[in-house]
Amino acid sequence: MATADTLAKPPAPALNWQTLAHSGKRRRSVSQSTLLAFLVIVSLPIILPYFWMVVISFTARTGGISTDVLWTACAVIVPAVLLYSVIHASLPSPRLRLVAGAVLLAIACALLIALIGDRLHFDNYRFLWRANVVEEIRSKATAGGQFPSVWTAFRNSLVLALSQTVIIITVASLAGYYISRFAFRGREAFLQGMLVLHAFPAMTLIIPIFLILYWVGLLDTIVGVMLVLATIELPFYVFVMKGFFDSVPWDIEMSAMTDGATRRQAFRLVVLPQVRVGLIAVSVFAFIRAWEEYIFVRTFLIENKNWVMSLYLFWVADDIMGVDYGIVAAVSVFYVLPSLLLYVFCQKYLTQMTIGGIKG
Amino acid sequence: MARIELKNLRKDWGEAVAVTGLDLSIEDGAFVAVLGPSGCGKTTTLLLLAGIYSPSAGEIAFDGARVNDVEARDRNIGIVFQSYALYPNMNVLQNVMFPLRFKHVEPAEAERRAREIAALVRIDPLLERRPSQLSGGQQQRVALARALVKQPHLLLLDEPLSNLDASLRLSMRTEIRRIQRELGVTTILVTHDQIEATTMADRIVVMNAGRIEQEGTAEDLYERPETLFVASFIGSPPINLFDGHAESGAIKIHQGAMALATPVNGPVVLGIRPESLTVNGSGMPARIVAVEPMGREVLYTAESALGIIRFLEAGPDARHAEDDNIALSFSPDDGLLFDKTSGRRLDARVAA
Repeated sequence: MATADTLAKPPAPALNWQTLAHSGKRRRSVSQSTLLAFLVIVSLPIILPYFWMVVISFTARTGGISTDVLWTACAVIVPAVLLYSVIHASLPSPRLRLVAGAVLLAIACALLIALIGDRLHFDNYRFLWRANVVEEIRSKATAGGQFPSVWTAFRNSLVLALSQTVIIITVASLAGYYISRFAFRGREAFLQGMLVLHAFPAMTLIIPIFLILYWVGLLDTIVGVMLVLATIELPFYVFVMKGFFDSVPWDIEMSAMTDGATRRQAFRLVVLPQVRVGLIAVSVFAFIRAWEEYIFVRTFLIENKNWVMSLYLFWVADDIMGVDYGIVAAVSVFYVLPSLLLYVFCQKYLTQMTIGGIKG
Repeated sequence: MARIELKNLRKDWGEAVAVTGLDLSIEDGAFVAVLGPSGCGKTTTLLLLAGIYSPSAGEIAFDGARVNDVEARDRNIGIVFQSYALYPNMNVLQNVMFPLRFKHVEPAEAERRAREIAALVRIDPLLERRPSQLSGGQQQRVALARALVKQPHLLLLDEPLSNLDASLRLSMRTEIRRIQRELGVTTILVTHDQIEATTMADRIVVMNAGRIEQEGTAEDLYERPETLFVASFIGSPPINLFDGHAESGAIKIHQGAMALATPVNGPVVLGIRPESLTVNGSGMPARIVAVEPMGREVLYTAESALGIIRFLEAGPDARHAEDDNIALSFSPDDGLLFDKTSGRRLDARVAA
């Protein structure tokens, strides 16, 4: 019974709650700052090239390239960011943080304008309104009549990405729903087959697909690329949508059907709104995936009226790299912008995609 | 409102039989509970009635007309699921109005009816909210309103109270009963909780392993259980059951024996409800091994020649303590005898 006694009465501890609270707080803030510092360091190699690209596009002139603008900008921005993180950690109220942040931003902007303001220009973006920029730089002989207006490429990219989104969202949601809800012969085999398909690199099929497109007469058409891309991408999105549908309870559908809805009405009015997040996420990914596509468009699109943005960028870089970095960077910025905007506005839906996927 | 008939209804899932040989007829306006343990086929029966599943054999008839091939959406049935199955993308009013959308009711009229039914189930202040902003009890009421707004032939309730806390369950019981009486809608309640069944329904159907064991009033089931299953399923604390062997006018149970008033032979089970046992000077000797005060009553567990036996005495204070030696007796009318192999009750009594 001696053990029971010792268990029942622990030695009276001399607890100082205040010290404990202090050390707890300190430990939390130390680990938080360490984490923050780590994340900043590992994100540098990603952020810096993009930042450089933007800087080049607004400052470079025809000819060589200099890094001094980049370093000057960094010399202003890095201390500003560091200062803000210190402010953020030491100021508890969100309002004060906001004010301090705004002041800091204003100072940084003023410094940037003072230091590199005279070197900023929009000349590199002249490809947006002048179709034959490359010809002007390289002389007509080498690049004569090759380049379409950037807006043609932009339109082609947009058509490709939007149609891709529409095809994928329609097929993936219907197929995902069917696989999630209906038992049919070969369902398991079908699911496994889709996974296996996704495991093989589609690139290996590029020659057969090229030949097929040639024979059916879809080579060098946006429609051809559209169909190929959609086919290759679909299994994955069907799987993702199946996961989302799996998490919608059956009861809701049964309820809608006893309430007088047909199965189709139940799907449209009750089930589909439950997977809205999934639909948005899949649309965004499908769009961006098609927007970024390079290998297949490079292989299957030949004439310049069919160029998409990635091809436009490639040919611009191919023709004037080493001569005019500024324009290449400006085209890159223009190319990245739609993806970036989509990500920024749909970010909260995209992070939920994995949740839906895991549930399934 | 409708009279419901099930004739020899059967549903198989491949090899497995979910329900079989279901015969049941429910009067117009009746409140019937289908009571049984999980997996007994009660929810399958409900979904067969709703038209979500189609029967493998047999017939379902509303007001004498066969409805086997009538689709779920045309059966005009209101159903409240255990999970309530509210549509999260619609607010309460839209949820309640949803069934009317398919009946070509004018929007203004639909809203009037939805508001009327909302008042009946007392959710009128919540109409603008989303289901996720409601408590469990409120969601339950919304589900009920949605099931009732189409003036259904039949109202089906699938374990409607099991997600509510104890006090809410009590008030919802009375509430559902009140609404059912007020509207006079034929109602089938599926539940595994005998209290829910006995307090709400006029008649109770006990199901086990896909079959109907017995149907009747709460009193029938309690006083005159037809099968061993019903006897053991109904009643809390549960009935005492003793395996024995009947031979030449007596049953031998464990170390004890008991004379029979009616001669039977073979393996039998004797059932005695805990409240039928009384402590008095002349009876079966027993020693108390556990005392459990339950408030109004005290539940004792004792060891006797028959084996472990539980009995109840009025409380709140216990009159016996552990290790007390007592004598227990019961009236011969309260001893229920069952055939062990068939599980059916025998028309036999123990001797006084």
